[in-house]
Amino acid sequence: MNIWLSAKHGLTALFGRKQHERELDDEVHHYFEQAMREQVALGIPPAEARRKVQMEIGNATFVREEVRTWGWEHRVDTLLADFRYAFRRLKNNIGFTTVAVLSLALGIGANTAIFSLVNATLLKRLPVERPEELVYVRSSSNSFSYPDFDELRTHNTVFSGLAAWGGISGSMGVGDETSLVTGAIVTGNFFSVLGVQAALGRAIGVNDDRTPGAHPVAVISDQLWHARFGKRADVIGSAIRFNGQQFTVIGVAPPSFQGAVQGQMRDIYVPMMMQSVARPPRAQFSGEMNANLLNRRNNRWLTAIGRLKPGTTAPQALTQLVAIGKEQERLQPADGGRSSTSAVIGVNEGLGDRTQLVSVSRLLLLVVGAVLLIACVNVANLTLAQSSSRKKEVAVRLALGATRARLIRQLLTESVMLSGMGGAIGWMLAWGAVRALRAAPPPEGALPIALDFSMDANVLAFTFVLAVLTGVLFGLAPAIQSSRPQLVPALKDQGIGANDRARKFSGRNSLVVVQLALSLVLLITAGLFLRSFGQTQLLEPGFDAERVAISALRINILRYTRTQGRDFYRQAVERVEALPSVQSAAVGRWAPLNGGNSIRSLLVQGRDGSEEVFSREVSNPTEIAGNAINVNTISPRWFETMGVALSHGRDFTTRDDSGSTSVAIANEAFVRKHFANTQAIGQRISLDGREGPWREIVGVSKDFKIVSLTEDPQPLVFLPVLQSHETGMTLFVRSRTASTTAIAAQVRSEVQALDRNLPLSSVNALSDLVSTSLYTARAGARMLLAFGIMALALASIGLYGVISYTVSRRTREIGVRMALGAQPIAMLRNVITQAATLALAGIAAGIVVAFSVTRLLTSFLYGVSTYDAVTFAAIPLVLLIVAVAASIVPARRAMKIDPIRALRSE
Amino acid sequence: MDEETTDVIQGTLDMLILKTLSLEPMHGFGVARRIEQITRDVFKVNGGSLLVAFKRMEREGLLEAEWRDTENSRRAKFYSLTRAGKKRLEQERTQWNRRANAIARLLTTEA
Repeated sequence: MNIWLSAKHGLTALFGRKQHERELDDEVHHYFEQAMREQVALGIPPAEARRKVQMEIGNATFVREEVRTWGWEHRVDTLLADFRYAFRRLKNNIGFTTVAVLSLALGIGANTAIFSLVNATLLKRLPVERPEELVYVRSSSNSFSYPDFDELRTHNTVFSGLAAWGGISGSMGVGDETSLVTGAIVTGNFFSVLGVQAALGRAIGVNDDRTPGAHPVAVISDQLWHARFGKRADVIGSAIRFNGQQFTVIGVAPPSFQGAVQGQMRDIYVPMMMQSVARPPRAQFSGEMNANLLNRRNNRWLTAIGRLKPGTTAPQALTQLVAIGKEQERLQPADGGRSSTSAVIGVNEGLGDRTQLVSVSRLLLLVVGAVLLIACVNVANLTLAQSSSRKKEVAVRLALGATRARLIRQLLTESVMLSGMGGAIGWMLAWGAVRALRAAPPPEGALPIALDFSMDANVLAFTFVLAVLTGVLFGLAPAIQSSRPQLVPALKDQGIGANDRARKFSGRNSLVVVQLALSLVLLITAGLFLRSFGQTQLLEPGFDAERVAISALRINILRYTRTQGRDFYRQAVERVEALPSVQSAAVGRWAPLNGGNSIRSLLVQGRDGSEEVFSREVSNPTEIAGNAINVNTISPRWFETMGVALSHGRDFTTRDDSGSTSVAIANEAFVRKHFANTQAIGQRISLDGREGPWREIVGVSKDFKIVSLTEDPQPLVFLPVLQSHETGMTLFVRSRTASTTAIAAQVRSEVQALDRNLPLSSVNALSDLVSTSLYTARAGARMLLAFGIMALALASIGLYGVISYTVSRRTREIGVRMALGAQPIAMLRNVITQAATLALAGIAAGIVVAFSVTRLLTSFLYGVSTYDAVTFAAIPLVLLIVAVAASIVPARRAMKIDPIRALRSE
Repeated sequence: MDEETTDVIQGTLDMLILKTLSLEPMHGFGVARRIEQITRDVFKVNGGSLLVAFKRMEREGLLEAEWRDTENSRRAKFYSLTRAGKKRLEQERTQWNRRANAIARLLTTEA
């Protein structure tokens, strides 16, 4: 098959139709004419000759058709004809077209929106080179210290490159403006291991990372370049102030680059050797010495990422890294042990905090899939209703010789055109919804991963394919059924025969029952989520969220000495407490429900325990191992400020300082876990290994929620800030009034007055944190409710359609009944009963499905059984009422049927 | 009609057309008759199939067509072989001979 010739001939036929037809005509005519001449030459009379020729060759028209229909252009021709015809039909039935297109738009649009979420957050790959070769390396306590990482980097043979990064935040000054930025501090080989080139300038290289403090260079993100430098090319080489020190911008990262982990925005990258300037905000160090985390084995704050050598697998790498760790420990035992490698994970599997997102996405996809299914059934029913009025047309075409396949193809073209339009409108609906969501993003920290809804080419392809499949799905059954009418009655324009009564189990009725069942399941799911949300709203956080406001004091940026730091905290508390509307103030390392907890190694005196010593900062810790404990460092009167009571012992006082006995306070959960049968007061614990210091427990506090409102009480230990200095603390302020808005500005100005160089930090009410932690539950419930209502609306339309149709088909029968004396009101009752029966069937089926399906929701629900009686009773009732309401209009129409006219027409 | 006449299968039809047109350019009916003549009525060509075959082979580049005026009728479409067509004819001929020999050998050997 010669493509070029085939194309040329086909196109000539398509565009030079008249000439082509004439040529074909001539050729066939000539053929027959020659045959005729042959016969005549044999002496056969013309009439006889013609008959013989016709018998031998066949009908001229038939032959011409046979030749004309061969070729790809003919298929295109018929397709175009189908489209034109479908378009005309849809235009002539504008009512049907509108309802169908809108139903489909809702269904397809919902699917598109959810898919764009899935696509952007779950399917998106890291924008790095050959991501299948990259792996994250995790330690038993999640992160590595720099010395431990360096050993792994030096001694391994499985990676072509092993790099590390840590999250940092700091103040960045460009010109006169200073603001807070988040970024990453990276080893020199970070960008080359990832295979990422700078979009402008150059990326950080190995030569920038040899000597501590020698290369103050930085790579900025494309977003920052846009926001602070107006995308000017002269940003390369320009100077910025990072944490007070001058850095040179050497490059701009590519626009889609978000660092080594998806979903975390990083605006600045600096070399690891600049660590003394760019500290991770949560690594503890004493302000006196220049923090040198590069030398400290016990501060674990780095995440490692490596590129496997070709032919090496992740398990092999894991084995070798573990071996290296053991060998190094043997050669050079470290105080407090080494962090040992615990896992090597491919980057495309993510760092494990996506499992919840995966299950949520799965649920949402099922839900919108159900909505689309309901919409499809609606359109299928509508199409079927249409088909009865097309019986005659179809019969004529069949009689004229059209094949069923041809007819089915043409009917499918109509369906696909409908779903195509529905898809286009659905795409626009989804786009609008996404924009609305972008304008109202979740509060910071409400979700573990940044949500992205960008609608790229993948999403468009998805919408397109979905539209086509939908069209085929709902169009196929009606098409097959329509192309099979009984020819004779259809041609004679006879209506429904006596045998054609509405059967109880007719296809259309069962479809409506399915729709109602699906809506019921969706609504029950939504109802369960709503109840769960209601339950979580009732949860007490354990502290007084209404009266407390917090503000971050990031003095690590200012590089205070320890004394300066202590003074700062003391002064901040004093000044704020002097405000008239403030009842009390205190500082604490972290605030509950705000992420960012501090996990340290734990030893209880007199008990066995691991010798490993570590401390790390973790966001939302879910499980804490037996030898670890969550720690918060607080000032005196913190408990009073937070409204948390002490059940035993005492609070910290100003006398608990570096000169006196080391003390600690534990919460009741800690006491239950470690001192179940003994007195906790007086026991001693160490967070720094066997060498101590051993801290004596002097008080026991009540439990409060730490990570999420739905958690079980978690053990927690408190240290006094005077005995355990921190370089970043949060200020807690308790207001005299019930709301904190009044004092926010005052607190801010008091703190600002202490040091002009401190980057401004917002003052937030703790109650905001509480409602933020409820965000997912609330958003989820709302979304499901929206989809559930969508589903119910569509199903109601479906029910309305079916009842209407039944009434119109029964016009004659109803006319007869009324003529025989039935009361109109009885007809109304009859129709409504019919609708109610369908609804009840749907409810029954739906409840059965719901019972088996809601089991899967356990992980999402709090405080609500998956068989919650209230939900399972209320929702079916709602459905029944809606179904009856949907049938009222057709029922009233039945009532108004004039018996005489009914009998006369038909 | 003779019971032994059979409808022509497509592959064989191609070969017959190529062979016929290798002798001289011809129009549709002429080809049909010539085929019947040469094969002594063993192969009878269906008019529609023949014209479709012409169309197909033209698109495969084996034939080219030319309109000529005829004396007492409208114009007629004359087909002739292209160089590719001639080559295909040779290929078909060789292949056919190989197959025929193989079958002949098969049928004449004792079990």
